[in-house]
Amino acid sequence: MANGNPLTPAAFQVLLALATGPGGRAHGYGIMGFVAEVTGGAVQLGPGTLYRTLTRLAADGLAEELPGEDSRRRYYRITPAGRAVAAREAALLGRLVAAAGDAGLLARPESA
Amino acid sequence: MSRPLGLVPHLFVRDVDAAVSFYAKAFGAVELFRTVLPDGTVLFVELAVGDARLLVSQEIAALDALAPSTIGGTPMLLTLETDDPDDLARRAVFAGATVEAPVTEMFFGERYGRVVDPDGHRWALTTKREQYTPEDIDARKPHDV
Repeated sequence: MANGNPLTPAAFQVLLALATGPGGRAHGYGIMGFVAEVTGGAVQLGPGTLYRTLTRLAADGLAEELPGEDSRRRYYRITPAGRAVAAREAALLGRLVAAAGDAGLLARPESA
Repeated sequence: MSRPLGLVPHLFVRDVDAAVSFYAKAFGAVELFRTVLPDGTVLFVELAVGDARLLVSQEIAALDALAPSTIGGTPMLLTLETDDPDDLARRAVFAGATVEAPVTEMFFGERYGRVVDPDGHRWALTTKREQYTPEDIDARKPHDV
């Protein structure tokens, strides 16, 4: 399951979208929009990928579906376990990105 | 350039629900969704097994898509990588698999064993240690293999 194993990219992106949402919650369409926006359109989670990823996260106890008033717009919330796993993954990615910076692989922001 | 993005085994079984239940108990598989035809036939069930996907369908005699137990064997070995193959093998046997080769330390640096699931699909359960290079493995290879 999710104990100690790295998350798939899609799983991390979905948890990130949930953690960003108010109260750690978001609906499917919002998750897709967030991921497209934060990656500058480089990553487009399709509905099928999103559904599979959310189902898997729920089975692993990392996210939960909220009982909805509107059946057409399903809301999901990150769980404390999901937050812990996402934080661990973010720390790992942070170290890799820092190393990429040291290696000169990060584009420097344009100086004003 | 077109390049493959994934490799997904699609298994044919005699009873989809029994197979899905076995994969859940044995390997912690999670059902992601199923596609059911209007007449109630389960076209396929998509499972998550670890980070991998697995498709399971009812055997279809008309298409010659048959379960190993119907054919009387399979040419395919599905290799499942895990931290603890001993535990996975115990779970598989508890769920109804039979042991084909007990889990043991192998010359190629993995703990490895094989089980056969209730439909006759063969599974290798192994660690993914990658502690030896191909040269190391050649040097350690028994002479009678």
